[in-house]
Amino acid sequence: MVKVADIERALEPTWCPGCGNHMMWKALKEVIEESGMGFEDYAMVWGIGCHGNGADFYRSQGFHGLHGRALPVATGIALSNPSLKVIVSMGDGDGYGIGGNHFIHSVRRNIDMMAIYHNNQIYGLTTGQASPTSDQFMQTPSTPGGVVEEPVNPVGVAIAQGATFVARGFAGDVDHLKSLYRQALDHHGFSLVDVYQPCVTWNKINTFKWFRDRVYKLEELDGYDPSDRTMAFETSMSTFHELTCAPDECKVPIGVFYREEETFTYQDGLPQLDRPMWKHAEEPRDISEILETY
Amino acid sequence: MPLPQKGSELRVKIGGAAGLGIKAAGQTLARAFVNAGLEVFDLTEYPSLIRGGHNTYTLRVSPRPISSHVETVDVLIAFDRQTVDKHLDEVIDGGAVIFDPEVTSTDGWLPSNRIRPVPVPLKKFAKEAGGPIMANTVALGAALGLVHFPLDTLAESIAAQFAHKAEEITEQNIAAATVGHGYVSKMAGDFWMKVEGLPDAPRRVLVDGNEAVGLGALAAGIGFYAAYPMTPASSLLHFMAAHERDAGVVVKHTEDELAAMNMVAGAAFTGARSMCATSGGGFALMTEAFGMAGVSESAVVVGVFTRPGPATGMPTWTEQSDLRYVIHAGQGEFPRVVLAPGDQTDAFDLSWKAFNLADQLQTPVIILGDSYLSDNRQSVPYFDLDAVMVDRGKLVAEGDVADHPDALGEDGDYLRYKVADDGVSLRVLPGVKGATQLINSYEHDEYGWGQNGEIAAERTAQNEKRMRKLQLARKLVPPPAVFGADVAEADVAVLFFGTTKGPVLEAMRWLEPDGVKVAAMQVVTVWPFPADDVREFLGAAKRTVIVEGNYTGQLQGLVREQCLVDVDDTLHRYDGRPFSPEMVYAKLKEVADNG
Repeated sequence: MVKVADIERALEPTWCPGCGNHMMWKALKEVIEESGMGFEDYAMVWGIGCHGNGADFYRSQGFHGLHGRALPVATGIALSNPSLKVIVSMGDGDGYGIGGNHFIHSVRRNIDMMAIYHNNQIYGLTTGQASPTSDQFMQTPSTPGGVVEEPVNPVGVAIAQGATFVARGFAGDVDHLKSLYRQALDHHGFSLVDVYQPCVTWNKINTFKWFRDRVYKLEELDGYDPSDRTMAFETSMSTFHELTCAPDECKVPIGVFYREEETFTYQDGLPQLDRPMWKHAEEPRDISEILETY
Repeated sequence: MPLPQKGSELRVKIGGAAGLGIKAAGQTLARAFVNAGLEVFDLTEYPSLIRGGHNTYTLRVSPRPISSHVETVDVLIAFDRQTVDKHLDEVIDGGAVIFDPEVTSTDGWLPSNRIRPVPVPLKKFAKEAGGPIMANTVALGAALGLVHFPLDTLAESIAAQFAHKAEEITEQNIAAATVGHGYVSKMAGDFWMKVEGLPDAPRRVLVDGNEAVGLGALAAGIGFYAAYPMTPASSLLHFMAAHERDAGVVVKHTEDELAAMNMVAGAAFTGARSMCATSGGGFALMTEAFGMAGVSESAVVVGVFTRPGPATGMPTWTEQSDLRYVIHAGQGEFPRVVLAPGDQTDAFDLSWKAFNLADQLQTPVIILGDSYLSDNRQSVPYFDLDAVMVDRGKLVAEGDVADHPDALGEDGDYLRYKVADDGVSLRVLPGVKGATQLINSYEHDEYGWGQNGEIAAERTAQNEKRMRKLQLARKLVPPPAVFGADVAEADVAVLFFGTTKGPVLEAMRWLEPDGVKVAAMQVVTVWPFPADDVREFLGAAKRTVIVEGNYTGQLQGLVREQCLVDVDDTLHRYDGRPFSPEMVYAKLKEVADNG
């Protein structure tokens, strides 16, 4: 069984002091330890970006792929070895921008895997340009006149696209984040955890304080039912905060927006995936019967 | 004309609008001839349209080995006037045109003293048999009747074709073929051509190139196939999907080519033998992840079945213009192997070998084909299944990584990218106890950590380690194939790669009676380039020619660059059509005569 200390035997994180990634790292390490998994039981996949540097800091078996392409790599892993739990790490530009197409299709596929998005609403590694989740009118080096378009609403898109587990966390609340990770890991199907993870270097607006003043927990909301898709979608729409909104005017919900208990995963639709697919290549496959038809 | 003697083989062309089932009908006919022991080669030409437009299917049938299409036909089956207008010139003197006078106007081309008109009420007979859709089946029967070929093998292949449909459909189609056969047999008594089966001929396989690649991949134990449909690679996706349950393959039609290539890399990480395939345009989209497969040392197989480019180009036609592209695709430098099958037998053999090479070298392997290979069927000897071997290279699939102390670093961590003399590190699969390996698209150190990849010495060590695989590859890859006369004795030596093989071999057979001695070399592995073999071959030759289907002379350029030699002459084609043996024959004869 993997211990937090085992994971930490890799390189020390180089994230900026105070970066939300540190808290996400802590939360995930602890959840992995609590899950009782061994190193051989799971694989991690990373995209490119500040979050992706985490590939060096999590000692685990994993694949540090390309910008925006973590989900298809993870899909290849999940659809060729059913005994591996797959945990995918992405950023907002990475996962919702360049990887937006893969995001939509991974959601609808309901492949059994866990996808964590490090959402700091900015491009960190390339020095502070607007990301797909940057608020409208935010000024950045790539949008000096302010972002013109609406931000992506990942929670809403995922719910609309038929996701079976959608949650949002905040890096400033590690215990709450851990509970989301735990549920996501246990979920049978595609689980999405979008995590607000303020960038202390480039995003001077959506700061830890900005979020602390505004976040509230869905589970503490009276009458919130995470099995009600319509309610989940409507709640996701209420989160289109704007830079100018005062704490008493806009609130940012965190928690499990939507969860379907019994789901039909992509793997459930593949009877041939009853064992790791490498076992099919232990010796030549006998194709003589197939060849007879030609 | 440098053709086989008139009447020694049969060439049938069927033409009409897309949607009439021309290809399906033609393939049924091809199957009948193969079942009768004859050799066939077919050529399907079609525009990028679902309905309408002009489609043709050309079938060449011979009792002797054949390896390409030819430019002339003996029997033209015209489902419309357009077919007559476009293809009457191709019919040899004394050939025949089967047509339905109700459908195909006869103005201006009948009577012809050059060809024999065979009017058959195809539509009327089809309606009587069960429906006008079966006009093509009536025509098949008519064609066989014309060449005095018995109907029974056609009836068998019709039954096989409609096996999955209601019995009534089979019966109606056989009835349609029978009436066409009977009608024409009566009027064709004096037609000069007579085709006979070879009842004792060995069993042949009738496949197109994509099927041959797919069969090779299945035999190799492929576990994961991902693709986005693109002509002419789409039929391989269909093939794989058709066999996903019976053979045990996970097949994913992805959202785009980028996803396909990335998924394949992910599946390769778990040890599944993994493949994607596309055309040149799709490979352009895959190229980013192709490079990732190189730096991450992922064992993947990529089929690139090309068509004329650039961009969307000519989707349904053929060209050999992506040779340089696949050799260089990707930024930076990394080793790769590119195999170029020339025909169906090559396609099967190189396909299963590609999976071994990918595993042995832990680097991407490309199977480079084109539409001429993908789309066309050829009868070939039963594939050599006994030759198929699985070699997974340096791979630990199960157990504990602690049992492999050489692969562990000082702290006990597994060195996925341990520097090795041959460039290949021990690979362990996820699931092996204790293996915490990081596969990385970033440059990395021996553990896979990206941060250390920026250290100059680590970068140099990893880069050199990877590039050393090319030296190992040279020992493992299939060598060039040689055909014909000994090069020192030959009047002319011809060098080619890929599907020019068929037309070249055919032309060489035609040159034999002319007393022209030809030596030919097929560059089977185009990368790493077999410079020594090619230099030796060309150096020993009196006159040299390169035949390749592109404008810029990409193979010729490689020969200059890699061998520091040039050839005397070249033959290029880049109009979307494959080389014909007639073209190759003329060029080789010209070079030999002028030598």
